Amino acid sequence: MENVATDENWKTCFAQLAPGLVLFARQWARSAADAEDIVQEAFVRFWRKQHDISNRGLLYATVRSIALDFLRRDSRRARRESVAMSDVDQTIAPAFAIEDESQRVLAAALDRLPAEQREVLVMKIWNELTFAEIASALEISQNTAASRYRYALAALKKNLPSL
Amino acid sequence: MNDFSELEEQLRKLRPVQPSAGLMSRIEQALAEQTSTAGVLPRERRSHFRWLSLGLGLAAATALVMFAFIRLQQPAKTTPAVAAVTPVPVFTAENSSAQLVPAGLTQVVYHTRDEGLHYTANSTQPMRRVRSQTRDTLQWKNPKTGATLQISYPREEVSLTPVSGQ
Repeated sequence: MENVATDENWKTCFAQLAPGLVLFARQWARSAADAEDIVQEAFVRFWRKQHDISNRGLLYATVRSIALDFLRRDSRRARRESVAMSDVDQTIAPAFAIEDESQRVLAAALDRLPAEQREVLVMKIWNELTFAEIASALEISQNTAASRYRYALAALKKNLPSL
Repeated sequence: MNDFSELEEQLRKLRPVQPSAGLMSRIEQALAEQTSTAGVLPRERRSHFRWLSLGLGLAAATALVMFAFIRLQQPAKTTPAVAAVTPVPVFTAENSSAQLVPAGLTQVVYHTRDEGLHYTANSTQPMRRVRSQTRDTLQWKNPKTGATLQISYPREEVSLTPVSGQ
């Protein structure tokens, strides 16, 4: 098998996808560092298997699968540490580079969306996946993916009447 | 969808935080490590466990059947004395073990867990792993005497189904 580490293509691919991938992983991670660990593991695994990088549905499915595994492990660890670390400030770093108050409100409204709607929104808006790709990644129908997207937008609009 | 065009525009203006500079170098390092464990999951060990559990279950079932046959073929030694009240059935070659015929097989799947997508060492595409726990019950019956023999044992099965993306 070719040593893909010498292939510069992956850097180009990853540079384009990284912000959206990390944002996608942040939905299940408690910190940016955890999200980056998830993305690292998923991308390395995906690239090593020499999947076609255009198969983005499979790449995001890989990220999601690893993130859910991570979440299960992390939940167990959090329970163990909760007593010892109960007095430590659990500040969660923002997922977006906030520029003004309206963006802060919008980001906060995003956090309040149901997880199944938020993940579709993240894949569609910041990762520019098609509904077919989202459906492939989440193993749902395209109609369901489109519905969840519309529900997410409707919920945001309801909570943010100024938009 | 036009109702949401302004909202979509506002959302796109939100820029995700850029990953740290070290992420790309960590990935580069991980890709360079030929002996890294990334991408290699302990699938084979679990697969062996599946066959091991299946083999142990079948071996236990076989042992129980053989034990039952031996017991049925030794009636003379267990014949009670004259004081016995209950008539003791007389076993012969015709009506003992040879008369036990299979009467049924029941397989009850009492737990199934979808363990998500995984990569096997020899596969280039992800596999969906589903672990199911089953209780198998085998029954034999002697049509003449009505005697039945039943064996039940647990079995765990892991199925890997290739997943294809588009």
